[in-house]
Amino acid sequence: MTYQASQAILMLIISLLVFGSDLQADPGGPSAPGLADRVIKHTLANGLTVLLVERHQSPIVSINLTFGVGGINEHNGATGLAHLYEHMAFKGTRTLGTKDYAREQPLLEELDRIQHEIEQTRERLRADGQEEASSPALKQLRQRFAEAQERAGQFVVGNELAMLYQRHGGVGLNASTGKDVTRYTVSLPANRLPLWAAVESDRMGSPVFREFYKERDVVLEERRLRTDDSPNGLLYEAFAAAAFEAHPYGFPTIGWASDIQSLTPAVTEAFFSTYYGPANAVIAMVGDINPTDVIALIERTFGNIPAMTPPPRVVTVEPPQRGERRVEVEFDAEPVLLLGYHKPALGHPDDFVFDVMDSILSEGQTSRLYQRLVREKRLVTTVDTQTSFPGAQAPNLFVMSAVPLAPHTTREIEEAITEELERLKAEPVEAAELEKVLNNLDAELLRSLRSNSGLASQLAYFQTVAKDWRYVLTARERIAAVTPADIQRVAAQYLTRNNRTVATLVKPIAGSKKPASLRHTSSTQMNPRTP
Amino acid sequence: MNACSVSTRHHAASLLICLFVIAPVLAVTEPPPAAALDQQGPRSSDQTDPRQMKFPPVALNPPEPERLVLENGMVVYLLEDHELPLVTVSATIRTGGWMDPSDKVGLAALTGHTMRTGGTQRTAAADLDQELERLAMMMSVSIGVESGVAMLDVLKKDLDRGLALFADVLRRPAFDPARVELAKLQARESIRRRNDQPQSVASREFAKLLYGPSHPFARETSMESIGRVTREDLIGFHAATFHPNGILLGITGDFDKATVLNTLLELFGDWTPGQVPRMTPPAIESADSRQVRFVGKPISQTHLRAGHLSIKETDPDYPALVLVNDILGGGSFRSRLFQDVRTKQGLAYSISSVLRGGIYERGVWGMRTETKTASTQQVIATLVANLERLREQPVTDAELEEAKEAFVNSFIFSFASPASIVNRRLQLEYDGLPKDFLQQLRDKVMKLTKEDLLRVARDQLHPERLKILAVGPSDTARVLAGFGEVKEIKLDPEG
Repeated sequence: MTYQASQAILMLIISLLVFGSDLQADPGGPSAPGLADRVIKHTLANGLTVLLVERHQSPIVSINLTFGVGGINEHNGATGLAHLYEHMAFKGTRTLGTKDYAREQPLLEELDRIQHEIEQTRERLRADGQEEASSPALKQLRQRFAEAQERAGQFVVGNELAMLYQRHGGVGLNASTGKDVTRYTVSLPANRLPLWAAVESDRMGSPVFREFYKERDVVLEERRLRTDDSPNGLLYEAFAAAAFEAHPYGFPTIGWASDIQSLTPAVTEAFFSTYYGPANAVIAMVGDINPTDVIALIERTFGNIPAMTPPPRVVTVEPPQRGERRVEVEFDAEPVLLLGYHKPALGHPDDFVFDVMDSILSEGQTSRLYQRLVREKRLVTTVDTQTSFPGAQAPNLFVMSAVPLAPHTTREIEEAITEELERLKAEPVEAAELEKVLNNLDAELLRSLRSNSGLASQLAYFQTVAKDWRYVLTARERIAAVTPADIQRVAAQYLTRNNRTVATLVKPIAGSKKPASLRHTSSTQMNPRTP
Repeated sequence: MNACSVSTRHHAASLLICLFVIAPVLAVTEPPPAAALDQQGPRSSDQTDPRQMKFPPVALNPPEPERLVLENGMVVYLLEDHELPLVTVSATIRTGGWMDPSDKVGLAALTGHTMRTGGTQRTAAADLDQELERLAMMMSVSIGVESGVAMLDVLKKDLDRGLALFADVLRRPAFDPARVELAKLQARESIRRRNDQPQSVASREFAKLLYGPSHPFARETSMESIGRVTREDLIGFHAATFHPNGILLGITGDFDKATVLNTLLELFGDWTPGQVPRMTPPAIESADSRQVRFVGKPISQTHLRAGHLSIKETDPDYPALVLVNDILGGGSFRSRLFQDVRTKQGLAYSISSVLRGGIYERGVWGMRTETKTASTQQVIATLVANLERLREQPVTDAELEEAKEAFVNSFIFSFASPASIVNRRLQLEYDGLPKDFLQQLRDKVMKLTKEDLLRVARDQLHPERLKILAVGPSDTARVLAGFGEVKEIKLDPEG
């Protein structure tokens, strides 16, 4: 956990499983209101799913709008598209964010045309082996582009959508993009739901990609911050790319820099039309609400959005790994170790066994890896495991991360971790360890009910990736049913040398070349690409 | 809780990157005076244009916690909440790293850490870990510069046992020698690693520039200072600063008041009061003039900090400065810096300004962002220009209105849960502020005029006193020259 925490920006959202339906059976106290009875589900004719939980402690409500789209839906050459769209979703609609859309629209189209000419000109120059700097034609085009951008900007009401939420007391206004999901969150005073419904149905129906090229530059700055200048960011990027040779889980969610620079409004628009249909969305709302009123409100607003063709499924399947892969990332920072093993997707019977192993290995200070590597051998300051990296919907990785304590090497730590993994194969785990796993899981589920936004997040997440929010209930039972023999079998099957990827952060080796990523690449020098 | 600021354990679901980085909280957001909102006009409308929608204020009736003082001076806040079979306990302790001897910086932090990991005189370290984790209890102790905090989160059925362990950790920590040794090794490793991330370098060097490198609010641990701390020092620091009359305890959740009070009396009643330290930070040794500092690091962006010391929360100018800062850079999407540098120019991903009102010492106000080397000069110039504009022209009516509305309408979230209500009260009492400090602040904010903001911007924001810190590649130093005489800070290779 601490390892992720040290990644200042890249947030690992670990959704916990399961709200134990048998929490009510807890002899220790009055029955916790059972989640199974509290969730109201409603599906609109256009396919939009709505999940509602009433919680009247305070006149507030948290809303999580989750789309079943993310980095998993991207292709080489257009990585980072899901994330860039998420940024563009804050630019407004035909009514929000503009002073006069009718007059703004032709200017946006003109901008795209000039941009297209710029790309063509650059391509020609490249083909002729000429310098861009010496081309008067290109200079003139860029001048025209800047002027057109200036004119279009006069119609923009900057960040109007976000400001509306802020003015009405919205907090936690944000959005995030992962491999499997893209999410839009806000918490509001409970009587502001009509505002939320008007804003969100509008942006689900008719977003406008104004200020596109500037926002693309913002995302490039984001990439520099999260990845290029971050030792952990770079390490995770290289690790995923090495572990997945074919599947899009190998792409960075933020996108490769050259891909981001090449994304266009047309590509982004096509992405929106393909993946942002109402049937691909889940609204989860928890707080001081009246479900009947909320459903009527959502029918009145989101109900007008036409149904869309289901998006294409991801066809690429990662082929079985045939041999260990090792990658190094050089950075002026202290060493870090990542170990990853391919494992099945969410819902596979073995996935629940990984949940148990995850907990046994690294949850708390009495976990096996913490005990052995931190307390006994003093090899590392922190060690952690995570299941379902970098996503859960497709087969993914079981990952171990460790921060060595000097002067110990990543090689020593790798050996010590491997020893613990071998122990999982050789000896059955003790009943007390399994009991601890379940106690903590149940407590965690109970704790997650304390937060409106946390609960909304869980419900929307599992409804999206497992197609049923009740996954949180069934998974708890599946985890409870895991036996010591299951753990031995799964460990032996997956935690093998030829199924693993090892990534290490190392100091730059003397005399090695400065990586190109550290050189400034201007976002105005875009590579041409065909949408 | 927000998806971009939360991470829980178990079943990694997805690796998410967020639209923007949550800026450090500067001023608390605040609820509305019903009166001020009533003039907002019609009741909630069903118009379809969200820009025209009006809503009445939501009712703000947060439950009132009960405050009791035990005979030995321990203050207890209780607030029952029977929704879920859980109880949360938090203690704020009058201790802090400000008391660390200058040759043993890190002593207080190590004390807090090992109070939790080092076992108690009744339960060995390993047994304590086992029991806490078997019962899924969460317990932590940490000591920051200005205060200590201990937390317990426990299932209702284990409340008695949890409180007993919690009391032992606070009163009778054992400081197991092996655990102390490990904590020191970990502290040294974190020193070794603290320059790996540019944002960590920027924050620490900026604090040193503002307060002076040896002031408790800025000074850092070193290999030597950690090396000098002994187990006896930890025992001594705990004995000297943990007293019942220096502890504010808050309990929320599914408990019975009378029963829990009896338990508290059993566990803490015989604890003798002691000499509670009163925080007296030393004088700040830093210049009032503009200073420009550069730290070289081979990266692609420049991490920028620009600001200066500011006022205390009790200063009459504080409410207006909260709003000025909000309009400048505290209000995320709506703020001028976000609109200008990010939205209009596309030059940064994360940008904000932060006002942290001081309690015991002057607070801090500052702007922060990161941008690629090529746009560094332009961004600093934009920061400075925005600062000067705030002092030259009044904010617009629309800006003032937006800021007030956001402030007042989000006020309810300061009282969103029983735990947040109790924790706020603990904090206010710890800081010596009135229990309705937030409500007073809200009322003052709602009365502010553009003229008030202009005057306070002129009095409290000082371009000529800006401390500008840049962490970035070596060519950054050159572009800084236009903003003052640049001095380079060399980082200690050891961290």
